[in-house]
Amino acid sequence: MYQFNVHRIGPEIKLGDIDISFTNASLFMVISSVAILIIFNLGSKKNSLVPSKIQLLAELSYSFVSKMISDTAGSKAKPYFAFIFSLFMFVLFCNMFGMIPYSFTVTSHIIVTFVLAAFIFIGVTVIGFIKHGFGYLKLFVPSGVPMILLPLIVVIEIISYLSRPISLSVRLFANMMAGHTMMKVFGGFVVSLGIIGGWLPLSFSVALTGLEILVAFLQAYVFAILTCIYLNDALNLHH
Amino acid sequence: MPKDTIKTRLEIAKKKYDKKNLEKNSQSSSKLGLAFKMSTELVAAVLVGTIIGFILDNWFGTKPWLILIFFFVGVVAGIVNVIKTAKNMQK
Repeated sequence: MYQFNVHRIGPEIKLGDIDISFTNASLFMVISSVAILIIFNLGSKKNSLVPSKIQLLAELSYSFVSKMISDTAGSKAKPYFAFIFSLFMFVLFCNMFGMIPYSFTVTSHIIVTFVLAAFIFIGVTVIGFIKHGFGYLKLFVPSGVPMILLPLIVVIEIISYLSRPISLSVRLFANMMAGHTMMKVFGGFVVSLGIIGGWLPLSFSVALTGLEILVAFLQAYVFAILTCIYLNDALNLHH
Repeated sequence: MPKDTIKTRLEIAKKKYDKKNLEKNSQSSSKLGLAFKMSTELVAAVLVGTIIGFILDNWFGTKPWLILIFFFVGVVAGIVNVIKTAKNMQK
């Protein structure tokens, strides 16, 4: 499908054997980052008591993320607010820009979401080891387990810990790709059924567009909230 | 009415409102997150288990055995994940 194709824009740039040319994926990442920067610069430039629309937007998203962090990870996670906020905004804007026709959805590629998830995974693990030292390994040894079962339980816990970045990245990628594919399929039905039978799939794809916008927001939210949950595990070790 | 009583009453009302809001929001939103968490965690653990088994098989040259064992360990890990999340939801 053409909408998922990554192609080069401009000249080919090579760093050794690695192709680092500017692609349409990088273009849309740049567009969403710049959009975020513009909105939040304009929103925080003038601190009027009665906020303008753009200031309201910036303040609402700030308090939304701040509340999400304090709800799930407690007050200890406050220093990581900047990271989670930019993560949430980046994923949200990438998802939302993908909803514009003829645009490119960055998050519908597993490598993009996996890199984000791998960063979170490594970061959270490093934070856990810094905060608790080798005591962080207690995460893999639940209390109250008989000695005979311990080796098996530890293996299971390690696998479930390692599955975090996979589940985090696959969820975002699969939801975005499945939604866009579904819309493409229904769009194809409209064309093939013609003017008589095409109205039903057309109404379906209108409804799906609404659903996709919901999913785009929800997946960004889930991505951020799971980062908070993992951060909570690393900060407040309880086993 | 003096100014102070209004102030305190306002503060009490604000606190009540905040508390109510917090309860409502934290219940609906973080549970939605947990529900999404469960759905893929089951699959991801199986995948990770199988990959670990494959790598270990290549190391030790015990071709089909470790991948089989770790596949089932991965299934168990996935189920454990889901049970853990469900237990957290009940709290």
